[in-house]
Amino acid sequence: MNMFIIRSITKRYGGRVVLDDVSFTAEDKKITYVLGTSGSGKSTLLKTMIGAIKPDAGEVLFNDTDITKLSDRGLDPYRKKIGMLFQQGALINYLSVFDNIALPMREHTTLDENIIKIMVKMKLELVGLRDFEELMPSQLSGGMQKRVALARALALDPSIIFFDEPTSGLDPIGRSVITKLISDLNRLMGISCIVVSHAVDEALRTADQIVILYRGKVIAAGTPQEIRQTPDLLVQQFITGSVEGPIAFRASSKEFGEDLLVG
Amino acid sequence: MRNLFGYVGRKFITFLQDLSSIYHLFMETLLQTALLFKDRKRLKKASILSYVDAIGSFSIPLVLLVSALIGVGLTVVIAFNLDNLGMLNAVPGVVVVAVYRFLAPLLTGIIVAGRMGAAFTARIGTMKVSEEILAIETMAINPVRFLVVQRFLGMIIALPALTVLGSFMALLGSFVYCVGHFGMGPNVYIVGILDILTPNDVISGIVKSLFYAVVIVMIGCYRGLIVEGSAEEVGKATMVTVVWSTLTIIVLDTVLTTAFYG
Repeated sequence: MNMFIIRSITKRYGGRVVLDDVSFTAEDKKITYVLGTSGSGKSTLLKTMIGAIKPDAGEVLFNDTDITKLSDRGLDPYRKKIGMLFQQGALINYLSVFDNIALPMREHTTLDENIIKIMVKMKLELVGLRDFEELMPSQLSGGMQKRVALARALALDPSIIFFDEPTSGLDPIGRSVITKLISDLNRLMGISCIVVSHAVDEALRTADQIVILYRGKVIAAGTPQEIRQTPDLLVQQFITGSVEGPIAFRASSKEFGEDLLVG
Repeated sequence: MRNLFGYVGRKFITFLQDLSSIYHLFMETLLQTALLFKDRKRLKKASILSYVDAIGSFSIPLVLLVSALIGVGLTVVIAFNLDNLGMLNAVPGVVVVAVYRFLAPLLTGIIVAGRMGAAFTARIGTMKVSEEILAIETMAINPVRFLVVQRFLGMIIALPALTVLGSFMALLGSFVYCVGHFGMGPNVYIVGILDILTPNDVISGIVKSLFYAVVIVMIGCYRGLIVEGSAEEVGKATMVTVVWSTLTIIVLDTVLTTAFYG
């Protein structure tokens, strides 16, 4: 079982609370979407789950180990089991597509270079980019970079993959390709996917479970069906993308008139 | 006034924090370097020579040119006085001491700090803001081993070599000027050098350049690794690297020169 239990995670930067008592469970072999507006703490939560940020309180349990308590070296075995697709791909810029995907294999396995070649081809075939191994990351479009980065995340056959805004900044076809890849990885290969995103439609279509964050708090969690039927106005405004609702268009807390008079 | 104290105090604390972080980075670099030498397979793939090559090919033309010109300039200034005293034959001896003990290590260090230290910060800083370093960590790869160790090994080979080359060029510049301008016999110049130069002068120059190599790599890589935010921050960090590594090299040079010859 590769289950994540997030328990009462709290994180502050300066005086600002970014994550406020966040708890949820991401089940094994499921697609979990963490949705939220920009600045709701999604990325911080994701970085906490990969061990890059230590929370001020709470725990992230993975197979009964609290990964927030592990040192950098202690995290290594865990990190070899996970894959991560970064928002901009985060491919190593001075390495070719081939070397990028081969990197984790060369670092962590004793595989022969010929076998690595075959493995890289297999990973690239999974993301549909087999002919691109000689190119440099800068020669690829944004969508292709993300697919190569996904191939790299798959290099060590992880049981879980994290996705940070996988479809933002892509054209509609690119978005569909990535969403389909997430779905295929999960259904065909049994990989657990944890996706941080603000793409509500994609989440409602592909997720097994959805967690919605707002200002660092979990305001709803459940299956897409349950989320759709939540009466909560905040949740409804978020999933319909309406301007009207509890999340105000104006971010200022002061009255406009008062502000003008003071000025 | 209180603001001024606060400002100075904060700067001083930041400075101490930086110093402590650089010390830790250096220790981690030494540890990772030791681990690399234990692992033959990785050592073969580490391509240290390509880093030596990169540092050398970027810096050699600049070091050669600057050293030769400094050699000429130094000779002009010294020869003017010594010629008046009828001691022109002492010029090679004075030049060789100044070059080996002081000028060549210092100048080469400063040139390479500006050229390569800045490049290290820019490269690593760009990787930091585009989350490449986080990606490396998430792949369970030690970023110090992946990014710092090869640069460290490359620099401690390349900088002493460049210093030796720079010293030679400065002497060559001086030689050409003495022979060409004053009509000094080539033999006289060479004997003048050999009379004064000791192996210790050459060794101390190389030892100094090893210190500067550490300074350049550590400040360059550290400033890159701590960049946060945008591309603008990478630019600022690059500038800070050049200022700090140049300043540190000059301070260290005074300390080392005094320690060796004072």
